[in-house]
Amino acid sequence: MNPARTLPSPSPSPSPPPLAAAIAAACAAVAPSWPLDRQIAVNPYWGFIDRPFVEAASTLRRLIGARFALPAAEYLAAWRRGTITAAALERAMAEHGVAATAEQAVAALQAGGDPAAGLPLPSDVLDRHAAHAGPRWRETITQQVSQYCASYFDRHQADWHRVRAGGLYAGWRDGLRVDHALEPLMHAPQIRARAAALPDGAEDAIGWALDRLGIPPQEATEFLQLCLLRINGWAAWCAYLGWEAGLAGGTDPHLRELLAIRAAWEALLHDDLDAAGGCAADWREPWVRRRVAAGPPSADWELIWQRAHEFGYQDGLARLLAGTGPARPAPGATPAAQLVFCIDVRSERLRRALEASDPTLETRGFAGFFGLPIQYRPLGTAAARPQLPGLLSPALEVSDSTGHPDADAAVAGRRRAALDGTSLWRPFLRSPSGGFSLVETLGLGYAGALLRRHFGAAAASTASLGLRADDAKALRPRLLPADRAAAARHADLVAGILRAMGLTQGFARLLVLVGHGSQSANNPQAAALECGACGGHTGEVNARVLAGLLNDPDLRTALGERGIDIPAHTLAVAALHNTTTDEVALLDLAQAPASHADALQRLARGLEAAGQRTRAERAPDLGLAGLVARPPALLRRLRARARDWAETRPEWGLAGNASLIVAPRARTRGLDLAGRAFLHDYDSDGDRDGARLELIMTAPMVVAHWINLQYYASTVDPERFGSGNKVLHNVACGRIGVFEGNTGDLRIGLSRQSVHDGERWLHEPLRLSVVIDAPRARIEAVLRRHATVRRLVEHQWLHLFRFGEDGLEWYRDGRWAVWRSPAPAP
Amino acid sequence: AVGAPDALAAPVTVLVAFLGWIIGDYAHRYLRGEPGQRRFVTAYLATLAAVGAVIASDHLALLVGAWAASSVGLHQLLTFYRERPAAVVVAHKKFLASRLAEACLVAAMVLLVREWGSLDLAVLGARAAGAPQLPWSAGAAAALIAVAALLKCAQLPLHGWLIQVMEAPTPVSALLHAGVVNLGGYVLIRLAPLISASPVAEALLVVVGTTTAAAAGLVMLTRVTVKVRLAWSTCSQMGLMVTECGLGLYDLALLHLLAHALYKAHAFLTAGEAVLAAGERDLLDSSDGATRAPTAWTQTQALGLTLLLVAGSAALWHRWLGAPALPWLSGALLSCGLATLLWWPLARRRHGGRALIALVAAAQLYLGWHWLLSTSIPVGAPAAPGPLAAWSLLVFLALYYAQLPAGGRVPAALAGRAYDWVYAGFYLDERFTRLAFRLWPVRTPPLASRPPPAGRSSRTRSPA
Repeated sequence: MNPARTLPSPSPSPSPPPLAAAIAAACAAVAPSWPLDRQIAVNPYWGFIDRPFVEAASTLRRLIGARFALPAAEYLAAWRRGTITAAALERAMAEHGVAATAEQAVAALQAGGDPAAGLPLPSDVLDRHAAHAGPRWRETITQQVSQYCASYFDRHQADWHRVRAGGLYAGWRDGLRVDHALEPLMHAPQIRARAAALPDGAEDAIGWALDRLGIPPQEATEFLQLCLLRINGWAAWCAYLGWEAGLAGGTDPHLRELLAIRAAWEALLHDDLDAAGGCAADWREPWVRRRVAAGPPSADWELIWQRAHEFGYQDGLARLLAGTGPARPAPGATPAAQLVFCIDVRSERLRRALEASDPTLETRGFAGFFGLPIQYRPLGTAAARPQLPGLLSPALEVSDSTGHPDADAAVAGRRRAALDGTSLWRPFLRSPSGGFSLVETLGLGYAGALLRRHFGAAAASTASLGLRADDAKALRPRLLPADRAAAARHADLVAGILRAMGLTQGFARLLVLVGHGSQSANNPQAAALECGACGGHTGEVNARVLAGLLNDPDLRTALGERGIDIPAHTLAVAALHNTTTDEVALLDLAQAPASHADALQRLARGLEAAGQRTRAERAPDLGLAGLVARPPALLRRLRARARDWAETRPEWGLAGNASLIVAPRARTRGLDLAGRAFLHDYDSDGDRDGARLELIMTAPMVVAHWINLQYYASTVDPERFGSGNKVLHNVACGRIGVFEGNTGDLRIGLSRQSVHDGERWLHEPLRLSVVIDAPRARIEAVLRRHATVRRLVEHQWLHLFRFGEDGLEWYRDGRWAVWRSPAPAP
Repeated sequence: AVGAPDALAAPVTVLVAFLGWIIGDYAHRYLRGEPGQRRFVTAYLATLAAVGAVIASDHLALLVGAWAASSVGLHQLLTFYRERPAAVVVAHKKFLASRLAEACLVAAMVLLVREWGSLDLAVLGARAAGAPQLPWSAGAAAALIAVAALLKCAQLPLHGWLIQVMEAPTPVSALLHAGVVNLGGYVLIRLAPLISASPVAEALLVVVGTTTAAAAGLVMLTRVTVKVRLAWSTCSQMGLMVTECGLGLYDLALLHLLAHALYKAHAFLTAGEAVLAAGERDLLDSSDGATRAPTAWTQTQALGLTLLLVAGSAALWHRWLGAPALPWLSGALLSCGLATLLWWPLARRRHGGRALIALVAAAQLYLGWHWLLSTSIPVGAPAAPGPLAAWSLLVFLALYYAQLPAGGRVPAALAGRAYDWVYAGFYLDERFTRLAFRLWPVRTPPLASRPPPAGRSSRTRSPA
């Protein structure tokens, strides 16, 4: 279970590559994008981590005019405010090898540069020379490919599907040969005739296109990359299919077929260039020129300022962490309860508040799937969903159970019958004739539905669809199969999890596993607010399964044989942190023994107080500063917000995330990290062989980095790597993604409403600062062993620090240097 | 020239006020943080006011003026994001269709004034009802009004603007689909005496309406995004509404107008729940019955049984409760819809009882609405069965069988070609788009020069 070993990451390409290598390299540069119902965060530049951040920025800028920094005005404002200090700016310039004064840096930033347009394709030249007003090829091609892909991949929206014969590319080619839309729309009857010449196979088509366009082999990769970037959303979807296939040990053809489609389009239009008054040389010229162009592009100044911004944050973080020693004693005896939270930045606030309101509690940070590599299949259905990070593939299955196989079968049967009965409405609800009668019989009833939603009624939950209320109550998610043979495997699994948590002794009376989930209504991107470690779902299933296992007497015996003794008085409890309202629900309490009632009550009180503090802290960013003094009103407002069908910003999710701290809680306890830090517990003394650190640096650190870069990209380049304006979102294929408006490319990343409140950015794009409390050699050993992790660090996709004797040490160019913060600003 | 609300204006006024409140409140929170909210509110209220005036006016000139004003107000809402070329293209298409419709209406007014000397709706109604046969010019005016209604109800082949308005925020789509596009139906009901006296107008409405209802209905089945599916659904439903007007079933048209507005407003405002619906579909599809699909024979059985139940129910309501007789065509159309409830129970031999109860209950509901509306709105009796009714029946029967794209029933190659045509919307909109570009070019800025989103200042946050 070592994900980084399986992480596909781009390899340096030899020059000049043959066709297959060029195709492979272009496809490897596309980062996957998960579907909406499991929308976990991804670094959209994942395919570029084989080169330094700055180089990736200039490559993407050259190719498509991508942006890697905020508009200049943002940095100037930060400069004037003092958020970016002269010292930070100086260090950023030094790091970029630029010698200039602060005044010169300000002037250079203000001067800005030409907005990069990216390299042209033949279709762009045609658009430029178009004789008549009409739709542009650029949008027409995007729309044609996008609509075709949507109809090809859709399984959840339409009632009548495209026949998928021959694959993505072949279907497109056959469709183009009989197309009747381009002639009236683009006055391009020739396309249909030319489509007849398209080769049969995808790879042949790419070769054919490169030939016709006269692209030399050494430029093929870049040209193909550009083709894919022009249809980036669907490319990311195809890359996701490839990712999933890769986890299952297979391959997926769709990305290269999509590439064939997009490249073929350019070749089909190539012959029109001369007729349109341009010439074939027009589009090639910038390609040739770009290699000659020299001198520092203006974007570099933006990146220098961006780096200075990061230095500013890191100085503050270093100052804050400097005061904490490793030897701070744990608070007295065994805590009243141990609560294990997800590393999610939203846990930081609640943990801090909880510890402040009840010092006898101990909190820990661990990936919110609690180490369970599971998929969850609701009882009586075949709809399994992964409940683990996207880096892993599920190894075990969880389903609901009453604990008695016969009763389970009965419940499953009832549910299947109920679902079957519900589905008989489908033709009436969805067919045209049915729709006519639906309107003329039940249509007026929708006045009631409108009123209910207007007054904040939640949409019907689909989670328990088909389940009777009493059946639902009797069910708990359990690991399958529950037989004797599996018991030993389960014990090994749980022992491994507890060791990874560093929880092998000193158990408190309550061991609480706190998963988290978000609550919002009418929100296509709701999964982006859920637990990323649980595959974009709430952590409820994982928390309940692990708590159930830990309370199982047989499993405890087996754990004892494995050297972990959980005392009889320890009760494991699952809990769910609602990140919209910051309420924490303790789950499955019906089974809790009476002996723990007092402890549970006390815990509940602590959680309530902590929730109140956390809400007060979050209120200003939600525009609710006025309610801070009235906690009950604030809670009511947040609950209403969670159910509001017109709310586009139910909560701020992981906005603001900037650091990951891998250390014992003693290092950070009592510090206000402002909800910007992922916190992973790690005790280096208990990890002599470095196996735990290796796991942390290859899985949670990569996940945190993905989240960090998703927010980064959605903020600095919302047009290309964000999903645009939420009020225009139009869900495509039920779950695959959103279009912004009518059509266009599939959109990936976060909406503008996720990072911007209408007046200001709520997310500061800062690359992740990772601070690890471990010996130098142990960290370096992980870097040596894992090329992917090494690339992230050495290419500055994240910044790596460790706790040293004299404050933080910074890993740079293969060496550790003591971090020197300037004196804090007065 | 604004009359007291009558039995027709009252429910429609209440509807528009209700929707205006719900959608406006939604938009208020939904658009928080968007630039131009003041512009939005102004255009929103202006559009609603214009719609209100259309409903309240009892003079044709005022009605036409208000109708045009509602279109202008809506234009502002559709171009709320002026920097989006696609939004502007759609708005231009809508603009052209609307102006064409208004040209028809102005021509109709000129003809009517010259013929009858008045544009007072009551006078027009009385004259039209009083004449044994419409004079030539009044007939032409009726036909022009029918054409205008078809244009404003986004009927084929100039429907494209309605489909593509997803370039405006969700509440604008809700307002358009629930409160504006159906005004064509309202005006037809208002002018029922004139329309029903003109066979040409009725034929236009029925032929275009049925064709649109069926074609757009099929296209809807293939749509891959939630909002575009809803748009084609509106197009199809409006087709049925104008068909009902053309057939003289004005009470049904009014029911359709009101109920569809509520249904569609709800559907648009909750369009973000498409992901939940997809999850629900996964759960439902995992029940084991999904394997046995209905066949044409199942469809026929379902339709036959439903026709019996509907006819029986209608006879009971007529005999025992004294409800007005249900026109046979209404019953047939209703049966085509309700019969879909029996498809799966018949195919799987399960849940038949539940489906029958639902079917019979829905039929009683329909008969209740029919009774209520046909006795309360002052429009004449439906025309006797004629070729238009027969045509409608044929089209809706064809749709009933065509809407189940069952695999294996037709050869794969043919099904593939059929899909291509339907998925392409029968290639109807491209010429209109091109024409719109020619008549009113859109300046499309290059992508790179689009202004970055406004952000006045970044937040000041420190880790401490």
